[in-house]
Amino acid sequence: MSESAYQVKVAKDLQDLIPTFLSNRKKELDALRTALAAADFEQLRQLGHRMRGVGQSYGFERVSDIGKRIEDGARHGDKTALEAQIAHYGEYLSRVQIAYE
Amino acid sequence: MNAATEFRVLVVEDDPDMAAFLARLLTGMAVESVADGESAMRSVKAAPPDMVLLDVQLPGKSGFEVCERLKSDPASALVPVILVTALEDHDSRVRGIQAGADDFLSKPVSREELLARVQTLRRLHETRRELEARRLAAEVQRKETIRKAFSRYVSPRLAERIIAGLADGEAPFMGEAQRADVVALFADLRGFTRITESIGVQHVVHMLNEYFAVLTDAAYQHEGTIFNMAGDSLLVGFNVPFAQPDAPARAWRAAVDMIGRFAAVSAAWRDRHGIATGVGIGMCRGEAIIGNVGSPHFMSYTVIGNTVNTAARLMQMAQADEMLVSGTLFDAIRDVVPAGRVEPRGDVALRGKSESIRVYSIRP
Repeated sequence: MSESAYQVKVAKDLQDLIPTFLSNRKKELDALRTALAAADFEQLRQLGHRMRGVGQSYGFERVSDIGKRIEDGARHGDKTALEAQIAHYGEYLSRVQIAYE
Repeated sequence: MNAATEFRVLVVEDDPDMAAFLARLLTGMAVESVADGESAMRSVKAAPPDMVLLDVQLPGKSGFEVCERLKSDPASALVPVILVTALEDHDSRVRGIQAGADDFLSKPVSREELLARVQTLRRLHETRRELEARRLAAEVQRKETIRKAFSRYVSPRLAERIIAGLADGEAPFMGEAQRADVVALFADLRGFTRITESIGVQHVVHMLNEYFAVLTDAAYQHEGTIFNMAGDSLLVGFNVPFAQPDAPARAWRAAVDMIGRFAAVSAAWRDRHGIATGVGIGMCRGEAIIGNVGSPHFMSYTVIGNTVNTAARLMQMAQADEMLVSGTLFDAIRDVVPAGRVEPRGDVALRGKSESIRVYSIRP
């Protein structure tokens, strides 16, 4: 994936909320991994649904996108797809760059 | 903007990031966030907000259930509710409409969409509130005007009862004149003519005010309606405009009170001016006509008929501190009047009446 895929523009008035937002995304990643290990598809669906709602609201379109894929994968019980998306989410969170404007 | 005029929004959202995001966008409004339906219900009950932003997927009670509860409670039914649903969730929108939601917001939330929807509902809500406040103010003013007008004629308690029974926009006593069984009580001041001849005008008016004050207090105490006040005489009706099954006993107690309360005033006048006065009372029970009498420019709520005329004649015959009552009334109060205070006067021919009537004299 190109570098631009990890660049996010966030509204300046949300700047002070972002550290908590990102911290919660990392907790979310842990929860996704735990749920995947337990094959808890309902929990995975709920977490994906939440990512979808909150990500793009803050300007993190990619989080919503991955959230939708996780939600869909959980609905279909597609463990392989879920593994790939969760790994992708981890990578995204470790590389994401934020510009406030 | 102070707390009283601040627009208050309750955000019901279990995702803390989403709740913080929504609160941040609602700049200039007082935002309270709760994470579940039960907390939302408690918050609304404690202090209804001006708007609720309600997520559909909540732990415990769903957003739909909360919305239904809010809309079914008169205290919160008018508070606008925006349901926050997933973008493509058509079923949720249908369910939301059924639950009474005023508008919808899609997740992920677009800043522009949120603000546009909130502002639209805010304007609608404020217009509705302003109209309601104006309607209430007009209603309060109307009732206050009626109360002031009534308080000259009826006791405060009776005035409240009449006002409480009025439908919106209805004027009191506007019905057709009607016949009713009433007790008419006439009272006047014995020796008043001598007072006006021997005492200065400024004193006379003050004394009349003292006299009427104690008599109207006694009339109101027993929920009589004052129909007329002229010179030194007072006409009070019972069983009108509302039924009083114990009207005869009320009238008797009012008369006893009038004489009793005036005794103190009379004693003071004797000390101040050296004059002896007392109240003479005539009472009759029977049919009378009640209605608004007059012209479009001057109208009064009046009681007229033979019963009223008879009470007036009896009053003229009564001595100071004496009640003269018709047989029709005495028959109804016979059991409550102490026997030692009653003196039957037999059949008495009254001035202007073709037939004589039974009359009883009662001393308080």
